[in-house]
Amino acid sequence: MTHPLARIDFRYNTQHVPPKVRAAIQKNTRTAIVKRGEAVAQLGVATWEQLRQAAHDLKLHTLTHLDAYLPQLEANVIAAGGVVHWANDADEARRIVLALARAHNVTRITKVKSMLSEEIELNEALGDAGIRALETDLGEYIVQLDHSRPSHPTNPTLHYTKEDIAEIFRRELGVDAPPDPFVLTEIARQKLRAEFLAAEMGISGGNFLIAETGTLALITNEGNGRMCTTLPPVHVAIVGIEKVIPDWNSLAVALSLLARSTTGQQLSAYTSFITGTRAGGPREFHLILLDNGRTQILRDPAARETLLCIRCGACANICPVFQNIGGHAYGWAYSGPIGALVTPQLIGTLRAGDLPFASSLCGACADICPVKIPIPQILVHLRQRVVAGDAFAAPVAPPAMQAGARAGAFGLSQPWLYELGSQMLKFAQMPFARGAWLPSLPPPANRWTLTRPFPKFDATFRDWFRARTPQGRAQKQTRALGAAVLALGAGALLFALARKLWRRK
Amino acid sequence: MTSREIILSRVKTALSAAHRVPMPALPALPQLEGDASARIEATLAAIESVSGKTRRVTRPADLRNALADLIGAEKIGKAMLWDNADLRELRVAETLAELGVAILAPDADKRELAQCDLGVTGADAVLPQTGSIALRALPGQSELVSLLPRVHLALFRPAALRADLRDLLAQLQRDAHAVLITGPSRTADIEKTLAIGVHGPKVFYAWSYEG
Repeated sequence: MTHPLARIDFRYNTQHVPPKVRAAIQKNTRTAIVKRGEAVAQLGVATWEQLRQAAHDLKLHTLTHLDAYLPQLEANVIAAGGVVHWANDADEARRIVLALARAHNVTRITKVKSMLSEEIELNEALGDAGIRALETDLGEYIVQLDHSRPSHPTNPTLHYTKEDIAEIFRRELGVDAPPDPFVLTEIARQKLRAEFLAAEMGISGGNFLIAETGTLALITNEGNGRMCTTLPPVHVAIVGIEKVIPDWNSLAVALSLLARSTTGQQLSAYTSFITGTRAGGPREFHLILLDNGRTQILRDPAARETLLCIRCGACANICPVFQNIGGHAYGWAYSGPIGALVTPQLIGTLRAGDLPFASSLCGACADICPVKIPIPQILVHLRQRVVAGDAFAAPVAPPAMQAGARAGAFGLSQPWLYELGSQMLKFAQMPFARGAWLPSLPPPANRWTLTRPFPKFDATFRDWFRARTPQGRAQKQTRALGAAVLALGAGALLFALARKLWRRK
Repeated sequence: MTSREIILSRVKTALSAAHRVPMPALPALPQLEGDASARIEATLAAIESVSGKTRRVTRPADLRNALADLIGAEKIGKAMLWDNADLRELRVAETLAELGVAILAPDADKRELAQCDLGVTGADAVLPQTGSIALRALPGQSELVSLLPRVHLALFRPAALRADLRDLLAQLQRDAHAVLITGPSRTADIEKTLAIGVHGPKVFYAWSYEG
């Protein structure tokens, strides 16, 4: 992970992906996409599309009524015997967890996989305080053993092969393990079973918070979520304020979409519903509601839908950029297209201004998103924030880029200037052209031609258009007429000017 | 100002000029066609498709045979089970004891419970479409029974079958402590290869019980 205050250099990061990692990511994302496709087909595409629209609308409804749903949720959690904490930022969330751990003399914590925990770097803070926080999702466990970071929203070990993992187990656990997923899984089961039983506190995130009853819905496949929220005497859940949904009817829609998008399952193996405390469960239930920049996103109508995300990871799997570089290149807790949206908004464009450009805007992410986040549109909005600035942030792009963007915007908004430019390029390219291609261009355009040739500028589209369509032909006539009038006018002007000059002599 | 007040006031400010989107009508979820028997068959097929092991039990004698088979196949020495009316009526504890299985009380020390080979539960609701079973955390229905043992057996009656996920969740909403289980514990974190049995039960049996 990048240093907390360092700028994320996406371009640099993409150039330092080992080929082996690239191959593992391509294989694993492809598998995920195929499985998801099968699950959607099984449900029926028409039903799927209805559910997506409903999920989009109900989550946007909740977000635009958060001022009502958050207090409702809070009241219901408290009524069920839970404690609700509010955290403005990452630091406050960490301090609340630390205070709870100290109050209960906690030395060992078992954790359920949570992106939000990565966002607030909770494990580091607990470690600094001498408290061991152990990740228990197999993928997170492996990543933690390797002192690394998750490389995908739902599949943290996407970048490892089974051989890599066997090597990590050998190195960190001192066990001689074959590169066999089943044996490796069994080793982790044995190691972690003892930890679950010994832990004094369980920490989880949350997939959904149901305002109607104050219920936390927590989804896992391995059963570690159940272990961490059942066995230790204290359960602390840290959840972003955007995870609220109104009611259990809404939950039915959301659950129908989540597992299918994530793993291609109809439902994940375990969905736990936790409402405050219960007999036989943890004695204490604490819910920490985290803002950490989310209300800022909520303020911006053009970016608000970022908060619809249910963290399925499908956008990462389908993204041609992600498939080639994996999650680490995005430099922070959230990766893939959703990371390119979330990160610059949560940590600022000064540090993460590269990320909105980490996309070809092909739109595959928007097509696959189960809650229909218009990812490419928001990326374009954020690009504008980076280059031109807006009500939320000053521009951070270098002055040359800002000037270039302004010039580009002007050129593209004036048809005559655009056409003039494209016709001039035909001449300007002459020294560089080799046949139909421009094999190498001077800087800064050489950043393209260093890796692949650029096709020659033909600038023939407008001619083609004018020759083939009625609008084009009409446009051509208008333009011819316009040109004639212009030429006459210019001629008359020149004539008048010439006469004037002549008389002055 | 407390953080609560700060966050709520930020939310209010953020939404002050926002278009308040109305709650949409939610679409119907897929329902399952067919008569009662067909619905049971579909449920069992769905459970099999997520690596569960199923059996259709219709008479008390069948239940005893089925339990004997399970004990033999999975080498069961110790078991724990729910203490609810349904399992008492089916005499599950007595049958297991007669078959030589030691029974642990669900309120025993959790380290001891973790040594259990088998946990037997009922099922408060079943979703035929996905083969999911819902277990409510009621008195006598400890969550540890379906979590700690190596093998989990859930016995459900046809009356537990629900029309769709919404129906099932509406029932769970009442006490709001529950778990919805779809197959045995699993992971695909290593090269997307499905491995069964990570932290929860490695083997999941779900038997329908009629009669």
